[in-house]
Amino acid sequence: MNARQRDRMGHLQVEELDALAIAGDPELPAPRSAHAAECERCRREVDEIRALHGLLVALSPLQPLVGFSDRVMQSVRLPLPWRLRVLEAVRRHQLAAAGALAGSVAAIGAGLAWITRYPELTPVTIAAFLVERSTALLWSGVMEVGRLVYGAGILDAAQGIAGQLTPLTAFVAVATVLVVGLAALRIMLSLMNVAPASRRVDAA
Amino acid sequence: MTYRERSDQELVRLCLRNDERAARELVERFERPVFSLVYRMVRDRELAEDLTQEVFIRTFNNLRRYDRSYKFSSWLFKIAYNLTVDHLRKKQVKTISMHGAPDAVTSERQEATSLTLESGEESPDAVVEARELAGHLEDAIAKLRPEYRTAILLRHVEGRPYEDISDIMGVPLGTVKTYIFRARRELRDLLEEVREEDDEP
Repeated sequence: MNARQRDRMGHLQVEELDALAIAGDPELPAPRSAHAAECERCRREVDEIRALHGLLVALSPLQPLVGFSDRVMQSVRLPLPWRLRVLEAVRRHQLAAAGALAGSVAAIGAGLAWITRYPELTPVTIAAFLVERSTALLWSGVMEVGRLVYGAGILDAAQGIAGQLTPLTAFVAVATVLVVGLAALRIMLSLMNVAPASRRVDAA
Repeated sequence: MTYRERSDQELVRLCLRNDERAARELVERFERPVFSLVYRMVRDRELAEDLTQEVFIRTFNNLRRYDRSYKFSSWLFKIAYNLTVDHLRKKQVKTISMHGAPDAVTSERQEATSLTLESGEESPDAVVEARELAGHLEDAIAKLRPEYRTAILLRHVEGRPYEDISDIMGVPLGTVKTYIFRARRELRDLLEEVREEDDEP
């Protein structure tokens, strides 16, 4: 291989130089190994990295003073499992917890007492009643929204706009809505602190 | 299985169940590498201990946010890097000397903040020579930009692959390669300068 061919292949990249200098037994592709063997500049680079690596590795490992881990452990508060967190909260706010417990017991007791007054009320009839009420509530909500849309003339306005839309303006409008929507979503997620854990985590 | 035999991930899982022994094992496992990195960034032992302690406190306080698909050590180093760089930026510290903190004016203070380098060499001359060389190298590292310093220490002293360094520093892989390339150049030039000064009569 002549010098011109070597230059065309290019010198070794940083990670290739590293592999040769640090790992010692690199798995470089054959043409790259051949280049490394023949190129004086790359060999010199590898030697320099190897020498520097040797010096840096030989630097003394530093360690904190004795008892460091004890001091750390005194300051650390480990996360508690949810059951312990609940118990901790109860311990801290005993009065409020007792009130909440008494209120819950009273509510459940009153509910049970009310149900027992009507023997025809079985779990099935109660479930059917709840399904019926929630369906009715949902429909009334849909109807209300429809009435509002119609009353505000939004349908007419939308028809008017649709009549004037060209494919280009429609595309721009959709793209704008998408961009604004995604930006809003991102801001919302960052406010909710749902960023991946691999991001900055120092803002404790 | 003892705590020492458990993987980092297993220890983290135990920490999330409030297991203090697991937390202690993690601290003991990583106190040296984290302290080494932080010390070489700030060059003040007391400050480095405080910052390292803060690193562990933040790590455990944020343990619920730790993504287990990510290496725990990388996450820990990331916290250490961010905390130290923030400190350097706030204080605008230009760390230089291995012989104590930059603000150490009295000999007591210098002694309190300096580190003694150990050497595995046997003969006294070799020990002195190794210490001198290590001292020059530490001084040269201290003159690098914090980003270069972190990248070169993580690569050569901690043996981290480029991808890990990219994660820890929160910069693209190409930037890490550039940092390491330039750091090596600068270190080589700085050591060359020292060598030339030593050779002068």
